Amino acid sequence: MENRQIFYKKRWSDLPTGFLFLLPSLLLFAVFNFYPMIAAVRLSLFKWDNLSAPPAFSGFSNYIELFSNHRFWTSLRVTFIYTIVVTITSIGLGLIMAVALNHRWLFIKSFWRALCFLPTVTPTVAAAMVWILLFNPNFGYINTFFGYLHIPRQTWLSNVNLALPTIMTLGIWRRVGFTMIVYLAALQAIPQEYYESARVDGAGAWQTFFRITVPLVSPTTLMLVTLGMIDSFLVFDQVLVMTRGGPSDATLSIGVFLYTSAFSFFKMDLGATISVIMLLIIATITILQWRFIGFGTSEMETI
Amino acid sequence: MDKQPIPPIVKITYPHRRFALPGRQKIVVNLALLLFLIPIVMMIVTPYMWMLTASLKERGRIGEPPYLYPTTFDFSNYQEALKGAPFARYYLNTTIVAVTVVLSRIIIGGMAAYAFTFLKFKGRDALFLLYLSTMMIPFYAIVIPIYLIIRDLHWFNTFQALIVPRMVDAFAILLLRQAFIAVPRDYIDAARVDGASHWSVLWRIVIPMSLASVLTVAIFSFLFIWNDFFWPLLAANDDKMRVVQTGLQAFNGRYNVEWTYLMAGTVIATIPPILIFLVAQKQFISGLARSGLRG
Repeated sequence: MENRQIFYKKRWSDLPTGFLFLLPSLLLFAVFNFYPMIAAVRLSLFKWDNLSAPPAFSGFSNYIELFSNHRFWTSLRVTFIYTIVVTITSIGLGLIMAVALNHRWLFIKSFWRALCFLPTVTPTVAAAMVWILLFNPNFGYINTFFGYLHIPRQTWLSNVNLALPTIMTLGIWRRVGFTMIVYLAALQAIPQEYYESARVDGAGAWQTFFRITVPLVSPTTLMLVTLGMIDSFLVFDQVLVMTRGGPSDATLSIGVFLYTSAFSFFKMDLGATISVIMLLIIATITILQWRFIGFGTSEMETI
Repeated sequence: MDKQPIPPIVKITYPHRRFALPGRQKIVVNLALLLFLIPIVMMIVTPYMWMLTASLKERGRIGEPPYLYPTTFDFSNYQEALKGAPFARYYLNTTIVAVTVVLSRIIIGGMAAYAFTFLKFKGRDALFLLYLSTMMIPFYAIVIPIYLIIRDLHWFNTFQALIVPRMVDAFAILLLRQAFIAVPRDYIDAARVDGASHWSVLWRIVIPMSLASVLTVAIFSFLFIWNDFFWPLLAANDDKMRVVQTGLQAFNGRYNVEWTYLMAGTVIATIPPILIFLVAQKQFISGLARSGLRG
């Protein structure tokens, strides 16, 4: 006991060990997170037309230039539409699937669950390749299938109106297994008594779903909304592989806009400005998420 | 007492009444659920079937027959795909990067998590918050300066370029710390009183007692690296240094109309992460549920 007392006092002088233990991670974070963040903000305030010459300070002119660039607003619009549609659809579908998979009488549950989750662990580039072939206007299976239903052939990825929805289907396909798994965990945490008493009170399936399931998983829903928004907002891989932002910027997500500006046209200053805007948007969503989840957990505690 | 017949009203509310129901009703419920699940599962599975079928078709005859199941089994597509691009090399590169990143995230992350859990010094909690704050920085926001750092180090097309910027992850530290908190302090105190160093306490006591979370970090990090595309696209464009995802994209550029080869290559690229998921499924899903989740 005496020993422990001394030991606990000594604890406060763990600084040398703590420093050694934190040194590698601190170095890496400093070089590859904190410094780049400051450097990106700094670069966004500089003009850097000629990459061999040093950048010249230019105040907010990059921002003014960006805000008067119609492609920037196009990319924001495309990204927001993508984010909203993919987030809402994958969450709705995921919840319904989770409720079905959570049915206590369902046979081979884990088989269905694994199957639904496969897209989430499939590499995006590979999935995008398959999508290109699946939606090929001449021999893709989608047009074949639509032929069975007497729907005329579409050109999908080269159609200005259909290219973004086509990419959205890939986003939803990849996302829905994830939301389903998370909802399954949330559903399993709901005490069975709630459902038992609902049944005793004569509640139907719809009523049970909307009055018990949906409200009880709402903290999970809020978390999935923010996570889904962050994930979808950064959509890049599939767009770059499938359309490179075309046709005529119909699928130009902000990530692809950043990539083409900075690494195809080598306008690093413009790229840095876009990245600062992305940082602001993502940070806002994350801070909202933290507040929401705090709110959500206190809701849960009052039940 | 327990031999007494149960009144019907009790029977209805009895929590285990499912055991009393006939199997036929279960089958009916299952059929109803299947009616709902099968269309969804078809949408999920169709891309895989189309990919597999296309990879087994004869060259140049990708459109026919338009079925979702293979009617021909032309495995030469796989040979051609392996000849047309160094997929073995892509595999090797990706595996080297992934394994190194996994190890470093566990070692460096474990050390950091240990310091944040068991060591006490001024500024510890502020530093932890600073670490966590990196979770809200999207990679896109910092990619240009990182690209410039790698350029100035002349690291393009090296393993360092692919590995070093990924070696530490705040989410891994958070997960490990959550597991470390559950380790009873008495164990650590006892070992310390016996003269064990913090380093050996970490590796002999804390890590072995947190294996589930360590494994979760390993699986997430491995799949993250396997699915990473943006960074390898910028850091390595030499064919010898490409990873699977960028290699596949380059293959697409070269064999744009050779769909059968391309789909064979896609199958090759898709198998490892799916295998890892299927093998570690339980760990993966419980990890997702435990971790507070990140996509």
